[in-house]
Amino acid sequence: MGVPIESSPPPGWEREGIDSLLGMFPPGRLSEIVGPRSSGASSLLLALIARITTSGSGEGGGQVAFVDGMDALDPASTAAAGADLSALLWVRCGGRLRVALSAADLLARCPGFALVVLDLDELGPVPASAYIRLQRAVEGTQTTLIVRSERHREGTPASLVLATRRLAPQWMGLRPLTRLAGLRSEISITRSRFHAFSDGGSTGSWTLDWLLSQ
Amino acid sequence: MMRIACLLMTNELAAHATLLQVALAHSPRVEDTGGDCVYLDAAGLRSLFGDDATLAHRLRDAAAAAGLAVRIGIAASRIGAQAAARFGSGATVVEPGGDGAALATAPLSLLTLSEALATRLSRWGLRTLGELAALPTAGLFERAGAEGVQAQRLARGEDPRPLASWRPEPAFEESVECEWGLETLDPVVERLGELAARLCGRLGARGLAADGFEWICRLAGGRAHEGALTPAVPLTEATAVTGLLRLALEARPPRGIVEGLTLRARPTRAAPAQESLTDPSRPSPRFLAATMNRLVALVGSDRIGAPALLDSHRPDAVGLGAYASPSPHRKEPGESGSGNAPVLALRRLRPPAPAAVTLASGRPVAMRSSRLAGRIVAGVGPWRSSGEWWTPQPWLQDEWDVELADGTLCRLAHDGSAWHIAGIYD
Repeated sequence: MGVPIESSPPPGWEREGIDSLLGMFPPGRLSEIVGPRSSGASSLLLALIARITTSGSGEGGGQVAFVDGMDALDPASTAAAGADLSALLWVRCGGRLRVALSAADLLARCPGFALVVLDLDELGPVPASAYIRLQRAVEGTQTTLIVRSERHREGTPASLVLATRRLAPQWMGLRPLTRLAGLRSEISITRSRFHAFSDGGSTGSWTLDWLLSQ
Repeated sequence: MMRIACLLMTNELAAHATLLQVALAHSPRVEDTGGDCVYLDAAGLRSLFGDDATLAHRLRDAAAAAGLAVRIGIAASRIGAQAAARFGSGATVVEPGGDGAALATAPLSLLTLSEALATRLSRWGLRTLGELAALPTAGLFERAGAEGVQAQRLARGEDPRPLASWRPEPAFEESVECEWGLETLDPVVERLGELAARLCGRLGARGLAADGFEWICRLAGGRAHEGALTPAVPLTEATAVTGLLRLALEARPPRGIVEGLTLRARPTRAAPAQESLTDPSRPSPRFLAATMNRLVALVGSDRIGAPALLDSHRPDAVGLGAYASPSPHRKEPGESGSGNAPVLALRRLRPPAPAAVTLASGRPVAMRSSRLAGRIVAGVGPWRSSGEWWTPQPWLQDEWDVELADGTLCRLAHDGSAWHIAGIYD
């Protein structure tokens, strides 16, 4: 999906780049993507949605449920990322945190979705018990549950936590600038309970360029 | 021996269904032509209704009792019966072996002929079925082919084809009377579950599913509590239907003691689908239907579905379509998510956040809003878009992509009168 320009995968990984990054979200577990505004977290989510909805060899791909806490999903960006919109169930929660948590809980318990995304953005604070409930809802299923929020909350049962960091925007043209071309961001693993690297650690980082579609 | 009766309706076609019911009340084998006449198998009805003449009068009386004016013809063939009905006295019986003679004066238009054959017979000067029947068969075959010979056989009253039997669509409805009035919701749902099990059994026996349900709770005092639900996918499983009924009744419970229940299903033919061994799994219709109904109750029906891009250049022109799994999308060879370019996502602000923007030389240099505020360190624009000027609601927008001092990338928009933040790049 993504094209790493300065990929620095953790030692011990056979495959490099974003494909290995997107493939490391464990099914049946809660994962988190955390990062501030304009850090590439949403772009990473779209890349993952595109990968899943177009996977498979025959008709259609995996089904994805997107619980949109702040009604922020842009279907045009999602389609531009390559996602199959017909395989995407979009639940708009209108900024209501409890509704978003309940909707994610319901969808995590509905077998058959390959991915359930809970996009909280700035909503919060989320009680730790809500994370535990979500983890229990998805346990034993083949569903990957991802919570996207601004910052990581200590004490959550997430098996994988990816943190995104803004490096620099990419502009086209010299002075004066003519167009926004994209964003360079860094994605690092801050917690991984299932991936141990050759150096014994569980961290690594990727530098990725996200391109603005026209 | 074949005996066929034709019921020819002479009043409005809107009563066609009634005509079919009249025919079905006299014979188990009925053919619906879809037009103004209905055929029924009159063979073997003598012991029930008497001879053919008695049957003809009985059919006419039954139709009259149903408010229909019909003409009856009974003969050994369809076309013979139809000719007797159209040109007879109102209840006409053609004796066995007399079809040819009865058809002799009937016009050629009684036959359904191709335009070419009808033109050819007309050029030959033929006007009646008797004239067609009198032609030498070999010569007719040489000039008009098999279709001509087939038309001649019909003109002679030779029609060995059996009736294409019509059966009414079964009504998928179940009812139960509650001897003791039901005051709480649980026993009501339990009874509805029993009705759903019966309905699903009948649907399954015919290879059908139901894409809609209606229920009626008859309340004490003669009142009724009615409702309907449409599952996200056609259902055949009683447990799933019962779960949906419970959710619907919990949302809008009956106000009174329930004395009777009726459940009605709208049948549909479920498209057969076979899961692929290699494709990812999909939500089962049963679980999906229950989950969707709970989600609708949670967020509202207008806030859930599959995103759809509208055919418009207006910013954020999106809609919500029905979400149904599995996806009808079929990938082209080579199409895969991993082949797409990495795309920078835009997070929409809905509704767009109003912003106060400071300009210098026509370019935004600072902004302040409830969501974002700060000095603008870089920006490009304006990108102007407009549309629908031919409608009462034209739109025009100038967009800027800007970077704030804290590093936030966002899209500013000016609609001619005010600034707002359309979205944040993330």
